[in-house]
Amino acid sequence: METSDWVGLSAREVGLARCPACGSLHRLSIAGKCRRCGHSVSSRRKHSLQRTWAFLIVGLLCYVPANHYPIMITHSLTGNTSDTILSGIFALLDSGSWGVAIVIFVASICIPVTKFIVIGGLALSLHLHWAMSEHARHRLHTLTELIGRWSMVDVFVVAVLAALIQLGAILTITPGVGINAFAASVVFTMLAAGSLDSRLIWDQLATTETGSLIKPDEADAA
Amino acid sequence: MRVGMKSQVSFDDLVACPGCDWLHYRQRLSTGEYARCARCGDIMETRKPHTVDRALAASVAGVVFLMLSLFLPFLSLSRAGVASQISVLDAIEALWLSHFRWLGVVTLGLIVLLPMLRLVLLVWVLLRVRLALPVATHMRTAFRWAIDLEPWAMADIFMIGVAVSLVKISSVAQLEVGLAFWSLLGLIGASVLINLVLCKDTVWKLLTGLD
Repeated sequence: METSDWVGLSAREVGLARCPACGSLHRLSIAGKCRRCGHSVSSRRKHSLQRTWAFLIVGLLCYVPANHYPIMITHSLTGNTSDTILSGIFALLDSGSWGVAIVIFVASICIPVTKFIVIGGLALSLHLHWAMSEHARHRLHTLTELIGRWSMVDVFVVAVLAALIQLGAILTITPGVGINAFAASVVFTMLAAGSLDSRLIWDQLATTETGSLIKPDEADAA
Repeated sequence: MRVGMKSQVSFDDLVACPGCDWLHYRQRLSTGEYARCARCGDIMETRKPHTVDRALAASVAGVVFLMLSLFLPFLSLSRAGVASQISVLDAIEALWLSHFRWLGVVTLGLIVLLPMLRLVLLVWVLLRVRLALPVATHMRTAFRWAIDLEPWAMADIFMIGVAVSLVKISSVAQLEVGLAFWSLLGLIGASVLINLVLCKDTVWKLLTGLD
């Protein structure tokens, strides 16, 4: 086969693999370390789906105690109050800080839940070969990689407050155990998003195309 | 389109899309151009102007801002006559000394160590390229690390956290931001600049000796 025939196929279909670091192409049969940059070359991220599931499940498990246990405890002369993620948001709403309440709600509730659903959905769609637009799934995948890190906001809020508010008996803030679980949940879901190889989404298209040779709509056109 | 090319032609004439693996002919890009995948639309190759000079300048600025933000006063707080002033390192030390060591380590890693590592690696690689020193194997590893570290350098998110904290305790205590606060904003600016001007493809070409 000539290289001119290869354009319009995936690198994997013609037996090539792209170096994930520098982008140079290698023959799959002899792929090992990249001859240009030394990174290990593989056609698809190894065990992409298994890793995604593993990280996602751990992330999801961590998210439960993250919401159940307090993330921050305030000790003051008037007594101690402990806040979970949700009760912290309500406290902000009560004090009239709508903007900040929305920021925390988006970062600590919306983004993690969206990520669980989207990553889980993408992984399921690959297992079960859902007939879903590749473009839509590709965009969702890019989105999960972009938004994940922003969930860390709440961890930093607790870190800053706990470090700063150390005024002895007057006012002291200490972190609650929930924040550990929350930080772990964010890290694991970031790893889950990073483990999912977007090329798997497009591989499905390649196998269905070569499998049936002509797609029904093309047959109609012809 | 080069039709009828012989199969022994090296596949350096081809590029595979990083997002979907689709093969394309490698286009000769002019400065300022970029190539998008015809199938999934991801950017496959870029050629940004003066990338080494600009990215080096932004990285050096980032290192300076990060160093400044560590030691200058970050926030000062007063309530009922009791005042305290902390730098970023003090804050991390306070967490380390509490029984939430882990939180201190995470904070230290995400806002000090990983950003610093990324910036230092970039400065080292780009400076050697700039000075036309011979390419060492370690430079490629270093550059790869610098790229992979990007999502884990969280100074920008930290600043959102700081802003939220300021609002949260504005009712109970008087807070003022110090020089380190502005310096961290400078670091975020430098990080954004690095992402805008750093052309990974150009640097890879320089590091691998490909044109």
